[in-house]
Amino acid sequence: MVEKQSRWANLYLIIIFIVLYLPIFYLIFYSFNAGEYMQNFSGFSLKHYGELFADNRMLQIVLNTFVVALLSSLLATIIGTFGALGIYGVKNPLMKNVLLSLNNILLVSPDVIIGASFLIFFTLLGLGLGFGSVLMSHIAFSIPIVVLMVLPKLNEMSTTLVDAAQDLGANSWQVLTRVILPYLAPGIYAGFFMAFTYSLDDFAVTFFVTGNGFSTLAVEIYSRARQGVSLEINALSALMFIISLLLVTGYFFINQYNLKRKKQYKKGRNG
Amino acid sequence: MLKNRLFYFIPYGLWLILFVGAPIVLMFGESFLSMAHHFTFANYQNFLGSGIYLQMMFNSIWYAFLITVITLLISFPTALFLSNLKYKQFWLLLIILPTWINLLLKTYAFIGLLSKNGSVNHFIQLLGFAPQQLLFTDASFILVAAYIEIPFMILPIFNSINEIDNSLINASYDLGATRWQTFRRVILPLSADGIRAGIQAVFIPSLSLFMITRLIGGNRVITLGTAIEEHFLVTQNWGLGSTIGVVLIVAMVITMVLTRERKKRGRK
Amino acid sequence: MAQTIIEFKNVVKSYEETQVLKGVDLTIEAGKFYTLLGPSGSGKTTILRLIAGFSSATSGDIIFDGQRINDVPANKRRVNTVFQNYALFPNMNVFENVAFGMTLKGVSKGKIKEKVTSMLGMVQLAGYEDRSIDELSGGQQQRVAIARALANDPEILLLDEPLSALDYKLRKDMQYELRELQQRLGITFIFVTHDQEEALAMSDWIFVMNEGKILQNGTPVDIYDEPINHFVANFIGESNIIEGVMREDYLVSFAGKEFENVDAGMRPNERVEVVLRPEDLDLTTPENGKLVVTIDAQSFRGDYYEISAHDDDNNEWRIQATNPSIINTRQGLTFDPEDIHIMRFDESEDDFDARLENYED
Repeated sequence: MVEKQSRWANLYLIIIFIVLYLPIFYLIFYSFNAGEYMQNFSGFSLKHYGELFADNRMLQIVLNTFVVALLSSLLATIIGTFGALGIYGVKNPLMKNVLLSLNNILLVSPDVIIGASFLIFFTLLGLGLGFGSVLMSHIAFSIPIVVLMVLPKLNEMSTTLVDAAQDLGANSWQVLTRVILPYLAPGIYAGFFMAFTYSLDDFAVTFFVTGNGFSTLAVEIYSRARQGVSLEINALSALMFIISLLLVTGYFFINQYNLKRKKQYKKGRNG
Repeated sequence: MLKNRLFYFIPYGLWLILFVGAPIVLMFGESFLSMAHHFTFANYQNFLGSGIYLQMMFNSIWYAFLITVITLLISFPTALFLSNLKYKQFWLLLIILPTWINLLLKTYAFIGLLSKNGSVNHFIQLLGFAPQQLLFTDASFILVAAYIEIPFMILPIFNSINEIDNSLINASYDLGATRWQTFRRVILPLSADGIRAGIQAVFIPSLSLFMITRLIGGNRVITLGTAIEEHFLVTQNWGLGSTIGVVLIVAMVITMVLTRERKKRGRK
Repeated sequence: MAQTIIEFKNVVKSYEETQVLKGVDLTIEAGKFYTLLGPSGSGKTTILRLIAGFSSATSGDIIFDGQRINDVPANKRRVNTVFQNYALFPNMNVFENVAFGMTLKGVSKGKIKEKVTSMLGMVQLAGYEDRSIDELSGGQQQRVAIARALANDPEILLLDEPLSALDYKLRKDMQYELRELQQRLGITFIFVTHDQEEALAMSDWIFVMNEGKILQNGTPVDIYDEPINHFVANFIGESNIIEGVMREDYLVSFAGKEFENVDAGMRPNERVEVVLRPEDLDLTTPENGKLVVTIDAQSFRGDYYEISAHDDDNNEWRIQATNPSIINTRQGLTFDPEDIHIMRFDESEDDFDARLENYED
């Protein structure tokens, strides 16, 4: 599909990129406003950053958000990877399809439904709402993502690899830990990564299952935004954006580097 | 190996039962309970009998439809043009990057942009018009939702266009097709799966939006998403909330069936 | 007689409805190069998987060094495999791949290093320890796979069509190398292939298989010269197979004439199939020929011309000639009595062997 395209096409793309990034840069821009509102830029100031770092409640919530994201993605990765191994082991195609469909239910369900039904579930079990219920919910909606990232890697793995390991004397535990899991590693990392971002990004599910005592960033911003605008949140978004940007560029260059290395080997082999 | 498979399945199976099966069953059951926890059909009668909820359902579907159409119209050319760029993977990453910014933060940005003294109104004033009430309108809510969903539409369409074998395009030109004919008869049909996936990824969440509706559309209960939130978290009428949830699930299933991948079959 | 290392006794393997092995008996002696030869789906790889322990027999006994090993898992068998796609672990480098089996057994680091170095030297990959797998060419991956399997000191090395992914020249080289390696190490090799040329070039002993049965086993020369039936004759090399009648011992009739030959032990006037190899046929003038044929087509094959012709009974003949011929001319065809090989219909391998023994001494 590489062919020269018209200026109009490129202009269109430029406009799309501007539209996509305008709100984000707008937020960041006003985080440096000396004034109190997201309008009438009255001079450069870092005072909202100062406010942010002095706001213990907000810092606690940021910490909560990251702890939930880290723990939930870690546990979801473990359960999801084992789930993928289990699904991979099912030979009956009908059974496999049923399992895959069940797996995908939470992925396609609207957040509101997930949140509301989890709320009923936790209440019925008599579990208090708070850190525990939020963590469990995040694990629950992250598991299918991990399965979806790991399963293609498993399907791509040649079964003779397992045969070879057994042939060389590995028992089933050694086959799993020394051959299968290392082979799946890229898929597992991708799954963990996705689960982590899903958890960080979630608002609706958390909003339903969190109690009064516990809050994550998204829920906190929601309640503050309804009360009125504070530029402290802009400062926070600027920091979050920079962190995301660093992560993405890092990820991109690692990927690029790997691709290049692979290409070089191929060249070496053909030449 | 059998023992192993069971071992793999224990945590995953528990998850399937507790967090996939049980909540749906519970929600379905709850929809038949009155506020006093008695079995009743009243919730369904209430939903189907009152004009408010039917209107709300119609609104939700209509808004979701508009959001999906707008997103698709913007995203398809974007995906197509992106696939022609030299460093397309890098540009694609830039499209995805905004999805990493918390949804709430982006919505929050629009509150600033669209507010009465916000930048958009400044711009309108510069053009010589009177400032408008932009926030808390249906149009603003639809635009913000479309903005949020654009990357989720671009991604699957880009992937399907990107997978098209170059030689197919060349073959089309070789056989005498014009650019437009190549687009109509080769590129568009081959990217159909991506379009379907994109529609699924946008339409279903749009059906149940409540946060954007509340913050941008004004604090009104106008869609099924807001109604569910209202009944679960404000009025505590879980039975009615669950009924609306069941309706949403049905709508979701219908959407999935309508947009599922068609089995490839030879023409008769 | 060398010591028997593997024995199959009436081994059957079925997947649901279909039987892929239909009662196989075979005996494998230590220290030889064996080949299982057959078309795809003939069951040869199934035999290999049963020996390796990747699948288990539906019925019958598999005996290794006098012990029944049907229920011994793959990781406990002193048998190692070189896989068709090599199955090298992509997450490990060359050294780690070769060392894999030893690290599982807890061999000391120094010993592992020593062994890996010597194994890589053996397969001519000294100095490749730190390479990653995707840096290697197909031929090099092949050698790593061999080194990895041999590093485990197996009593039997199983090779599952290991050369099929290599190009022609490399395949030829590897054939010699494998043969030489086997002779040097004295380990039993069981090699699976569908390539008859490969089988003939490398093996001490060949099992020809089709549809889950062993049709014939013997040395390459035996199998080439005296195929038991139509399938084997066709599968091993090119053959002219013509229907004929065995008039009496040492006299056969086909293509409307009677010929002296060297086979015996059939019933008088028994219907048989006659095999004549294209390279045993010579073209001459029509009056000097035992048969007269008309030349239909010829193609140049480098070291010979392949000529196709038909005789007056409309039998097709393939002839390998050193000199070109002229299309549509009539030519004489000659061959010696010992070039004629007779095959009976439905003769079992045991009867075949018994008959051969009877008249050959």
